[in-house]
Amino acid sequence: MSTADISAAGTSTAGVSTPAAEASAAGASAAGTEVLGQAAASARTAGRSGGVAAFARLLGSELGLTFRRPRNLVMLALLALVPVLIGVVVRTFGSDGDAGGIVAATAGNGLMLTFVSLYVLVPLLMPVAVAVVGGDAIAGEANAGTLRYLLTAPAGRTRLLAVKYLNAVVFSLALTVTVAATALITGLALFPVGDVTLLSGTTVTMAEGLLRTLLIVGYVTAGMAALAAVAMALSTLTEIPIGAVAGTVVLIVVTQVLRAIPQLDWLAPYLLPTRWTGFDAVLRDPVATSDLGQGLLAFCAYTVLFGSLAWARFTSKDITS
Amino acid sequence: MTVGHDAGAPSGAPAAIRTRGLTKVFKGGQVAVDALDLDVPRGSVFGFLGPNGSGKTTTIRMLLGLVTPTAGDHALLDRPLAEALPSVGAVVEGPAFYPYLSGEANLLRYDAANPASSARDARSRVGQALERVGLSAAAGKRYRAYSLGMRQRLAIAAALLRPRELLVLDEPTNGLDPQGTREVRALVREIARDGTTVFVSSHLLAEVEQMCTHAAVMSHGRLVAQGTISSLHGGRPALLRVETPRAAEAARILDGLGLAEVTAAGSHVTAELGGHAPEEINAALVRQGVPVRGLAVVRPSLEEVFVGLTGEGFDVDG
Amino acid sequence: MRTGKLVRWGVPVAAVAVIGAAVAAGPVIAAVGADPVLPERTASRLLADAAAAARRSDGPPPMSGTVTKTASLGLPQLPGGPESPAALLSGAHEAKVWYGSHDRLRVALPGEMSEKNLIVNGEQAWLWDSSSNTATKIKMPAGEGQPVTPQPTDLTPQQAGERLLAEADRHSTVSVTNTDRVAGRPVYQLVLTPKDPATLVREVRLAVDGETYVPLRVQVYAKGSAEPAFELGFTEIAFEPPAEENFTFTPPQGVKVEEKDLGSLRPDERSHEGHKQEDPPVKTVGDGWGTIAVLPFDRASAAEGEGRQVLDSVLAGATPVSGSWGSGRIVKSKLLTALLTDDGRLLVGAVTPDRLIEAAGTR
Ligand SMILES: Nc1ncnc2c1ncn2[C@@H]1O[C@H](COP(=O)(O)OP(=O)(O)OP(=O)(O)O)[C@@H](O)[C@H]1O
Ligand SMILES: [Mg+2]
Repeated sequence: MSTADISAAGTSTAGVSTPAAEASAAGASAAGTEVLGQAAASARTAGRSGGVAAFARLLGSELGLTFRRPRNLVMLALLALVPVLIGVVVRTFGSDGDAGGIVAATAGNGLMLTFVSLYVLVPLLMPVAVAVVGGDAIAGEANAGTLRYLLTAPAGRTRLLAVKYLNAVVFSLALTVTVAATALITGLALFPVGDVTLLSGTTVTMAEGLLRTLLIVGYVTAGMAALAAVAMALSTLTEIPIGAVAGTVVLIVVTQVLRAIPQLDWLAPYLLPTRWTGFDAVLRDPVATSDLGQGLLAFCAYTVLFGSLAWARFTSKDITS
Repeated sequence: MTVGHDAGAPSGAPAAIRTRGLTKVFKGGQVAVDALDLDVPRGSVFGFLGPNGSGKTTTIRMLLGLVTPTAGDHALLDRPLAEALPSVGAVVEGPAFYPYLSGEANLLRYDAANPASSARDARSRVGQALERVGLSAAAGKRYRAYSLGMRQRLAIAAALLRPRELLVLDEPTNGLDPQGTREVRALVREIARDGTTVFVSSHLLAEVEQMCTHAAVMSHGRLVAQGTISSLHGGRPALLRVETPRAAEAARILDGLGLAEVTAAGSHVTAELGGHAPEEINAALVRQGVPVRGLAVVRPSLEEVFVGLTGEGFDVDG
Repeated sequence: MRTGKLVRWGVPVAAVAVIGAAVAAGPVIAAVGADPVLPERTASRLLADAAAAARRSDGPPPMSGTVTKTASLGLPQLPGGPESPAALLSGAHEAKVWYGSHDRLRVALPGEMSEKNLIVNGEQAWLWDSSSNTATKIKMPAGEGQPVTPQPTDLTPQQAGERLLAEADRHSTVSVTNTDRVAGRPVYQLVLTPKDPATLVREVRLAVDGETYVPLRVQVYAKGSAEPAFELGFTEIAFEPPAEENFTFTPPQGVKVEEKDLGSLRPDERSHEGHKQEDPPVKTVGDGWGTIAVLPFDRASAAEGEGRQVLDSVLAGATPVSGSWGSGRIVKSKLLTALLTDDGRLLVGAVTPDRLIEAAGTR
């Protein structure tokens, strides 16, 4: 057996996802090629139909970990508490003249509490929760050493990253829905319910108000998902999950500070936090679709950019933990 | 320098692991593995020996695709890595699990990560794996509450989740009590009997000697020996040791028989046995009136071979 | 292996390139579309066409769009929140405009989680402010030939444009380009370059829609900077009749409605930037681009509260100057210079500080 026959025998056509797999693809020996080639071919056809099921199974396992983890449940519960607090405060103390129009409107219509709650939570608290889940995604597994067992299982690096990202997106959705739902329930319980006055002064039916709430939930989820991509990219850079989480939170705070500097106004449209609160476009009449569209495009750009950074880093990284 | 290159594995025979010129230079210039040519025949129980820091774990990480080699090729089961890995069970540098999950839930998690595993029979396979390592009773217990030995066993169970063609075990008996060590040894033999190749790195030379058919020795990132256990022994001569009150006379007789390195000391004589039959030497001694109180053939232990290859003193490589 | 790694990192690099290109797409399209997109016109022909178009119809065609104002005047940072009048002097502001006809108009000023609206429909107009939850009903005088309603032209570049056209020839070199686009529409750009060397204005560009001759953008460039110091223009525009709902307003339940007669409403209250101030007797020195306004200014009683703060912070950064006329403090921005003399005069003009100091001597 010489080095020459090894490197000459590369017959791999499999969609390998790890860098080392490509090297070994070139290492398949000529002797085993025919039989193994057939076996591989049948494995691939089976894999294609079973691939989706296997992916769903891993995603299910990931979601199970995320939503059974006490830390994450506590975060969801704390954020769900905020709308209740706001509702109780507005109910108890009323909204005096100084309160913003939207808070004052809450006293008149329970549905408004949903918008107020999201407006309060979207700039910092919800992003922090998403940063915890996103920043933990890869670094947490690396820190626990479980990453090496997942990858030898073999989870596949691209596949694992995709599952981790989808998991963070589902968490973002769950978080937004939790906040919106508790706000809605609190609002219905504490305040009168009826037609909804939009920011433009137009009045729409309760049903349309709920529909617009759904739109907002979708938009905010997309914004949080974009942040999850940023957190995930940081997560591939370190083996210390707290580092990735703290890094993401620092980024959020820094961008919020940058937004507040008038000289940097030109930068604001490109910053995620500017776009997060852009959900108020849904509350105008007519819906400011171009603002919404630009917001979604910005989320898309962040997701693609940081997603590809995370992918490039993670698929070429040495796992030494 | 490779002693006793395995004559039993001709070129082109199915290999479980094959590397050519496999090299890893870490950032900062640390050469962890240096031009490694490893051949692990299918069906063997292969001991991977070497002092601390000699590059064993790094080699295993490269084999499993965790670390990208700086140079060289490697193949598992003569297949592309992504296709081979579902048939490979591995324990790498000790156990790692989710502390807040039970042993069973942990195994289900790793099973879910394998695209070749189906969800249908996952529970029964997990149950069997736990039973094989004697953890059935602790299946529902949180990993956090496991003892060191239980953790090690769980890691082996994870490697046995599916029928495997190759098991890669990085120091599997680390932290096990003597009984656990024995059980793992028995388990490895049993697994090997089913035709699975076992690649096991270890410090415990006696252990490798007892359970392995083949072995390789690493030192400072380089492979210094590989082959069957007997061929590794073959590198060092067996010694003849005769116990007798007339040592000087016995030495003369052994000399006359043509044995090398004859030395007499007090009431015993040693010499290299070479190709001689011990019973004929005994007969010759008795024929010439030398009282033989005891006669033994001493083969060098693998430990002596190992120390001979990696240098006296068990210093950490680095 | 190494190449594999390079290819991998190529993906995010490509992503950066694509996103960067998309972000820059606006300016790039404007630059790339350098081929003439409109037939050539001389300045006088263009002005005549525009005037003819204005005469033919009774106002601009129905449209809706977004107007953005950006100002980087190089002023010192002023105190006060983003809602304060001072904030309008810097940064970017956006308004949405729906224009149906000369008496049907809606202007919305979106804020974060708030919106101000002006809705004009015939003899009735509404002001709505979501942050104070108030609606103001305004009665418009009926049956006048000339509409008194605020037109988009009051808030859009049209008004500024008209003023410039009148001034144009006497004090400026005028040229026309036909290669630009504003809000995606081909435009003629009227470029006015002041002849007076003492002015801070390098040039003023007025973009006029190539089809409808509606002014779409005005830009003022200061000497020594490549970016406009002031810009007001459409970033989105559609020449289609807006939906009728835009011009109707029903005050939401539970909102206090104030009523006002137009006669009692000061003009500057109609506009969002308006703030009350007594009209002082204004004197001017010079003409054209070099016009300097001289007004009496009593610093002690000039402003109260926030205005006082703004004034103090501006004066803190002012340069003391003196001349035969006395002494004072001078504040310079990219476009405007102001001199507050110790004897209580305020001189303001788009001119160099030297010209102001000189003007301070002529009483
Ligand atoms: N991530 C890393 N970065 C730099 N050097 C490393 C890294 N990992 C390992 N090394 C070095 O590579 C060499 C081989 O390490 P390795 O862990 O492979 O040894 P080993 O044979 O498994 O040792 P042990 O018996 O102690 O487990 C050591 O000198 C070690 O310091
Ligand atoms: Mg090791």
